[in-house]
Amino acid sequence: MFQNKDDTVYEVLQKRGVSRRDFLKIATITTAVLGLEYTQVGRVIAQLETKPRVPVIWLHFQDCTGCSEAITRSFNPGLASLILNDVSLDYHETLMAAAGHQAEAAKKAIMDANAGSYVLVVEGSIPTGFGMTSIGGRAADDILKEAAAGALAIIAVGNCATFGGIPAAKPNPTNAHGVWDLVKDKPIINVAGCPPIPEVMTNTIAHILVLGTLPELDALNRPKMFYAQTVHDRCVRRGFYDAGLFANSFGDDGYKAGYCLFKLGCKGPTTYNACASLKWNEGTSWPVQAGHPCLGCSEPGFWDAGGFYQGQSALIDVPGLTAAAGAAAVGIAAGVGTAAANAASKHRAEQATPSQVPADDKEKKS
Amino acid sequence: MNWTDAMHFVRGPLFSAALLFFIFGMLYRLVTVIALGWKRDHAPAKSSKVVGGVLNVLRSAIIFPFVPRIREAANRNPITYLAGGIFHVGLFVVVMLGAAHVLAWESVLGFRWPTLPLPIIDFFAAISIIALIVLFYNRLSNPVLRLLTRTPDYINLLVVFLPFLTGFFMTHRLLLPYERIYTIHVLTVDILLIWIPLSRISHFMFYFITKPRHGARFAQRGAKP
Ligand code: SF4
Repeated sequence: MFQNKDDTVYEVLQKRGVSRRDFLKIATITTAVLGLEYTQVGRVIAQLETKPRVPVIWLHFQDCTGCSEAITRSFNPGLASLILNDVSLDYHETLMAAAGHQAEAAKKAIMDANAGSYVLVVEGSIPTGFGMTSIGGRAADDILKEAAAGALAIIAVGNCATFGGIPAAKPNPTNAHGVWDLVKDKPIINVAGCPPIPEVMTNTIAHILVLGTLPELDALNRPKMFYAQTVHDRCVRRGFYDAGLFANSFGDDGYKAGYCLFKLGCKGPTTYNACASLKWNEGTSWPVQAGHPCLGCSEPGFWDAGGFYQGQSALIDVPGLTAAAGAAAVGIAAGVGTAAANAASKHRAEQATPSQVPADDKEKKS
Repeated sequence: MNWTDAMHFVRGPLFSAALLFFIFGMLYRLVTVIALGWKRDHAPAKSSKVVGGVLNVLRSAIIFPFVPRIREAANRNPITYLAGGIFHVGLFVVVMLGAAHVLAWESVLGFRWPTLPLPIIDFFAAISIIALIVLFYNRLSNPVLRLLTRTPDYINLLVVFLPFLTGFFMTHRLLLPYERIYTIHVLTVDILLIWIPLSRISHFMFYFITKPRHGARFAQRGAKP
């Protein structure tokens, strides 16, 4: 950490003892990881050799550090984490050794020296309620806004930093928000998930660091290369869904047979993420494969979107028995009132015009 | 408001409000309608009113065209009979036996029941959609029917058609991303819940009142329904 700002990625790697041969390997893998064609390797090499490294400042707010935990377990590309951990990460409250006022001063120095050119990564939601989280005596939203002002782009990682996550779940006691609610004048990339897939984090960061451009984003500012398809679209159990073969409870015969987990509350159909294709832990497995329904963790407000084990089509807010009985009672009372009024007006009409015509016939004529 | 918020809204507060309105409206209608019918008939009953009522309910459950009485009705209005019948069967199968729908019922009622595989539900949804289109066309092309049809009748058709259509699109991933079409689908259901008490779609409740009532009246007058 705290590298010379003008060094290129290649120079930093050289100083760390990486050979030219290994550097070329890194550049090739980076090209593949970024989804570029093989012919683009030259472009990536040129970028890494000539462009100064992009410093990364990583801020924590209301989080569990699970996203950082996850990113340290990123496997492939080792290189993206290499770039991130060894080359670019200048300030990370959990990973850096320094602490206290000196660390804050160092952060300020990095921000000043790299104004307009650093990437700000935010983990955790930002409390805006009065007197909530503060670091070094300063309110969280204040710290965010200061860091955002000089950033080239902001990457919000995890559901908390993107959409508010669990701190923003009802009743949201700290009035927590995701970054994009608070910062409006900077490009924001939402790397959603709880936590996001480590490779999605590293690849997104690598994309900006290496290519110097933002990846293409969806309507929720998530990189399309990872969030274009739903979990359900790529799910290994999808055939069972289509055939109507479901597990009805954990451990029943359908569950043991590997049937679809829809009836156990799977949110796969409305969840955009790459779990089913990238998988977790070096491609070992992922929740649905391991037998747990998808929780929908890369979608906004997933904590408030009904129970995790409730059907995905379940209604979120259902009137209680009292409310239903209340509506019924009001309906009956209003009905009785209208009926009484009808009867009274009919009675009045009959008294006012005593007629020879039987009441039944009168009705038919009108 | 983004699509996810909209989805939470239509599945949450809006649904809740719509359901409460539905309960309120249906009971209001029920009470006012029942209150219309309490005039005493002083003539002595010719046969048992209870038996007449029960018989009429049982008789109306027979819908097969090989029964002469039904065949006659079916021949008189074959399109209404066929398309209407198919639609009602499809409606029942899709809404009561589709997996996603049963989970929705469960979240309201607290219990679930077995479901049918998707391709079967899909088939019934498709024939229901076709039946609704045929019924609509029939209303437009049949001169008598067209004279009888007012705007609310067209709204009835539309309000029932939209949940079917959006549900079908959702299953087949057509037109819009899943969560958007899902939001629209639930929204159309919310609208349907609000519209039912205001319209003749409420017949599904009155059906079970009018049938025994007719039977009982026929029995009292000694007529055969
Ligand atoms: S387990 Fe979930 S994601 Fe997979 S097919 Fe079933 S509903 Fe879809």
